[in-house]
Amino acid sequence: MKLTDFNPRILLSVIILSLGLIIAAVPRNTTTPFKLTAQQILDELKSGTQYLEAELVAKMIVEKDPVLQLIDVRPQSEFEKYSLPGAINIPLDDLLSPEYADLLNQGTMTNVFYANGSTRANEAWMLVRQLGYENNYVLMGGLNYWFETIMNPQAPASTSSDDELARYDFRKGASQALGGGGLVASVADKKEGSAAPPKPKAVGKKKAVKGGCS
Amino acid sequence: MGPLVINEIISENTNLLLAFFIGIAFGFVLEQGGFSSSRKLAGVFYGYDTVVLKVFFTGAITAMLGLLFFSLFDWVDLSIVYVNETYLWSSVVGGVIMGAGFIMGGYCPGTSFCGAAIGKIDAYVFIAGLFIGIFLFGEAYEWFEPLYLAEFWGSPRISEFFGLSEGVTVLLVILAAVAMFWMGEKAEKMFPRDEY
Repeated sequence: MKLTDFNPRILLSVIILSLGLIIAAVPRNTTTPFKLTAQQILDELKSGTQYLEAELVAKMIVEKDPVLQLIDVRPQSEFEKYSLPGAINIPLDDLLSPEYADLLNQGTMTNVFYANGSTRANEAWMLVRQLGYENNYVLMGGLNYWFETIMNPQAPASTSSDDELARYDFRKGASQALGGGGLVASVADKKEGSAAPPKPKAVGKKKAVKGGCS
Repeated sequence: MGPLVINEIISENTNLLLAFFIGIAFGFVLEQGGFSSSRKLAGVFYGYDTVVLKVFFTGAITAMLGLLFFSLFDWVDLSIVYVNETYLWSSVVGGVIMGAGFIMGGYCPGTSFCGAAIGKIDAYVFIAGLFIGIFLFGEAYEWFEPLYLAEFWGSPRISEFFGLSEGVTVLLVILAAVAMFWMGEKAEKMFPRDEY
């Protein structure tokens, strides 16, 4: 009896079903390492993939992106004086407290750490990254850079490139939407370190690419 | 190694170029499969032609099996593959509107462009309606927003939702698909139409 004697519908069903049985029987692929080595973290740190640009975060706030979770790692007293819209406060000292574990180790939200500069937020990121947690990022340049660029943008020279002018337009819009201007003077003097952020190579590299079909 | 873009094996632009060619192939296959005929498409609701059900479920189970085998061979990292977010109420309401439009118009958004490509007038009317709908939604967005963003669930997968392993979930979907194909062909014999 030849293979072609079978009804093709039944033949295909049998093939697909047996493939399904195989995949149901094999254990899930778990070869991806859970914890990262110090070298891997150093590599990630050097490439700057943990940084999210201030513009991107501002856009997410303005669009009320439900995936965004801002996490203020400054002490509570500073958080109460000023915080970004929708942010929650996890002071760096309490970062490893068990009550925050579910918040930091999850696959749904995009957590963005911020402090006045980049240092404390980076420390928070390194700690949770060491534990193998994903979806945690750092606001590039911290609040200092945020106020310089988003809340109080400087107009570029009229000879600037179109890109730069477009970026200025976006910052102006975001500044208005987020109530910038008046707040600048009161917070900008709280400098923590250098306000100049490092230039990342690829921002949010691990963030999945949007796609889909309709 | 995969997903290719996220692991920077190919650039975003190469990705778009690939999408362009895959899109052309997709449209060609749809058209050749008869998906540019609104009567054939609407047949799935009346039982005289269930090709829509068969094609899309075959696509789904092929992709599911492919992704899981690729993951097994370490060719793709499933944990960073993009999964569309679930906003429960937009999905429910949108699904009902889309289904009603599908029965009435005989097209879904993708196949309407397929029909338009070979000059079907009803497809052009459908696309005009599609743009009117997009325009109205955009203009009334503030009014829709609470419903649009309600019940955000993140990106849950069926397997996580029911606490099953991914492999068992795929097997169950395959069983359901084969059962539906069988019922679909029965329906085609029960409600035949000679010409459509």
